[in-house]
Amino acid sequence: MLSEFFNIFGALADQDAFMIRTALRTNGAWLFGGFLTIIGGLIVMFMYKKVPFIDRHLEKTIMVWSYLAIAYIIFMGVIDRFIFNDQEPWSTTIPPFLFMIMAWFGAAYNVRLRTHLSFSEFRSRMPRVGQMGCLILDAILWTGLAIIVVTTTLRLTANSAANFQIVLGTDNVMQWWFIATIPLAFILLAGRVFENLSDDFRRWRNDEPLIEQAVIGGDV
Amino acid sequence: MDTGTWVTIISLGVTFFFMLGVPVLLVIAYWVIGCSFVLGLTLDNMGSELLNVFNKGFALLAMPLFILTGDLINRSGIARRLSDFAYSCLGWLRGGLAMASIGACGLFAAISGSNSATTATIGSMLHPEMTKGGYDERFSAATAAAGGTVGIIIPPSIIFIVYGFLMNLPISDLFISGILPGALMVFGMQFACWVICRMNGWGYLIPLQLNRVLKTAFGAWLGFFAIGLVLWGIYTGKFSPTEAAGVTVGFCIIAGLISYPLNKIMGSDKDKPVEEKGWSEMFVVEGFKVWEIPSIVVRSAQISGILAPLIAISVVMQQILSLLGAQAVIGDFVTSMGGYYAVLFTAMIIVFFSGMILESLPVTIILAPILAPIAVSAGVDPIHFAVIFLVGASIGFITPPYGLNLYVASGVTGVPYFRLLRYIVPYLVALITVWFIVALVPATALALLPSR
Repeated sequence: MLSEFFNIFGALADQDAFMIRTALRTNGAWLFGGFLTIIGGLIVMFMYKKVPFIDRHLEKTIMVWSYLAIAYIIFMGVIDRFIFNDQEPWSTTIPPFLFMIMAWFGAAYNVRLRTHLSFSEFRSRMPRVGQMGCLILDAILWTGLAIIVVTTTLRLTANSAANFQIVLGTDNVMQWWFIATIPLAFILLAGRVFENLSDDFRRWRNDEPLIEQAVIGGDV
Repeated sequence: MDTGTWVTIISLGVTFFFMLGVPVLLVIAYWVIGCSFVLGLTLDNMGSELLNVFNKGFALLAMPLFILTGDLINRSGIARRLSDFAYSCLGWLRGGLAMASIGACGLFAAISGSNSATTATIGSMLHPEMTKGGYDERFSAATAAAGGTVGIIIPPSIIFIVYGFLMNLPISDLFISGILPGALMVFGMQFACWVICRMNGWGYLIPLQLNRVLKTAFGAWLGFFAIGLVLWGIYTGKFSPTEAAGVTVGFCIIAGLISYPLNKIMGSDKDKPVEEKGWSEMFVVEGFKVWEIPSIVVRSAQISGILAPLIAISVVMQQILSLLGAQAVIGDFVTSMGGYYAVLFTAMIIVFFSGMILESLPVTIILAPILAPIAVSAGVDPIHFAVIFLVGASIGFITPPYGLNLYVASGVTGVPYFRLLRYIVPYLVALITVWFIVALVPATALALLPSR
């Protein structure tokens, strides 16, 4: 498994999509995905701590511009059809990819704000040590999911690149440009998980409340 | 150990996680991961579905766009005008302001498609006025919570989009089939509201003045135009639900941006009473500045970032459920109950109790693929069943312990959760009555469908 893991680095250095795809098909990809998620997540957390501007605005900016682009493309598609009897063929194929980007970066943002739907009645009534245990459990589960998604979607990205898949309705827009944003979003998500965990330990040490009411529309 | 035992252990494990407050997304994801190991499925399937749900789901795009529409009409002041109109029409009745609050929920729901947005918007707008108007604050909060339930029934509706996407049903048909049941829910709750207010003598009466009704109707023209645009587009087939959502977003942004400078030029004050406003002041809403758009969009994006990943992971869950033969097991149980009505009512009971502990989206995602084919095989029309199912799921928004609207209403009004439960009961009775009417009279859902 270790040799497969190092083979992936070799394939990446060669920048050959077919070789990367072949290398990522091995079990070493799980080690690679885990390594990438944890190291990448730690780097992201460090970046967020050092540059608060990025911490506050990175996901939000991506989400807002993807959202507005979706609305604009669909709106203009309808206007084109009604007024000019014409419609860009990519006006129905690019927006789903933008939605995907918005959704997964939004998922990372919601991890930071802890606004993912949950049943928190029991947790909020638990003793402090129980609450801390639950927060650590959340962090472990999020990290595990991020590793799985990063690994499996890296394979998808490499596969798409190796097959030269083009977005329907376009001449030269590659699908893997969009697919690659999923592992990226989950690395950011891992960064948010580590950031939250670090905040939780600080609150634990300072005897501050551990569980706070999550607010949709709030800020990081 | 056999597969069934393993799946039971995994299901109990993730249920334990759920009770510990682990996010529903993780609960479903780890159930999928556990079951994939047991069934010997590759996890790559999960990764590819997290892409495919979006990649192949143009219809699903209507969901974020209708969420954004709700936020845009709220910020632009269109929602306020709709509630002013509802109050002008109903203020002469005992409990008129509360009934107007429910009516405003119905109108808001006809442009947006979200229950919590409906509750939050109408609750935060009308709760202060209701408490000033002599209503019990618990009743006021309960009214906002109950009114929000129509948010997902009156078209457009986010949950109808999800249901149609999952069950491969035409979303435009689902939208149209929600019109009458949604209207029935509004009237049912307004009746309950009237009874409670008469018994308690709440609210001040305002005379019914044609001039005021017409003026507020004129003031709400942008809202009516947006409602008309959505319904016309979908009903005539001029655009798909996703395109209707895109058009509505475009319309709301343009209306908001044009209204802002016009409103400034006219010098109209949003807090001025309707009687003191001239007709010209009613023509434009407050609107918003172009640089306010990102702050409006980010809230919608955050909600989409909660819902869309849940839908994606739930699609994988459905695949696993199919492989496990869960449909057959629950199907055997439900069909063993008997014929058409027994199957229907058993399904309704399952939806009702699930709605008490789960949010409507997981209820839909988990139960619809299991119950719908059984109901259809028992002779229930798939569109009719979708409406029955989703009216039940919407009632789940106000059933404790996990009634999302109750939490939202509590949040926006400041009334503690447990204190507003008492006044939710009359609304619950009204909604359950409407639910049974919808279940027993298929025409309530099917009459408006153009193909029937």
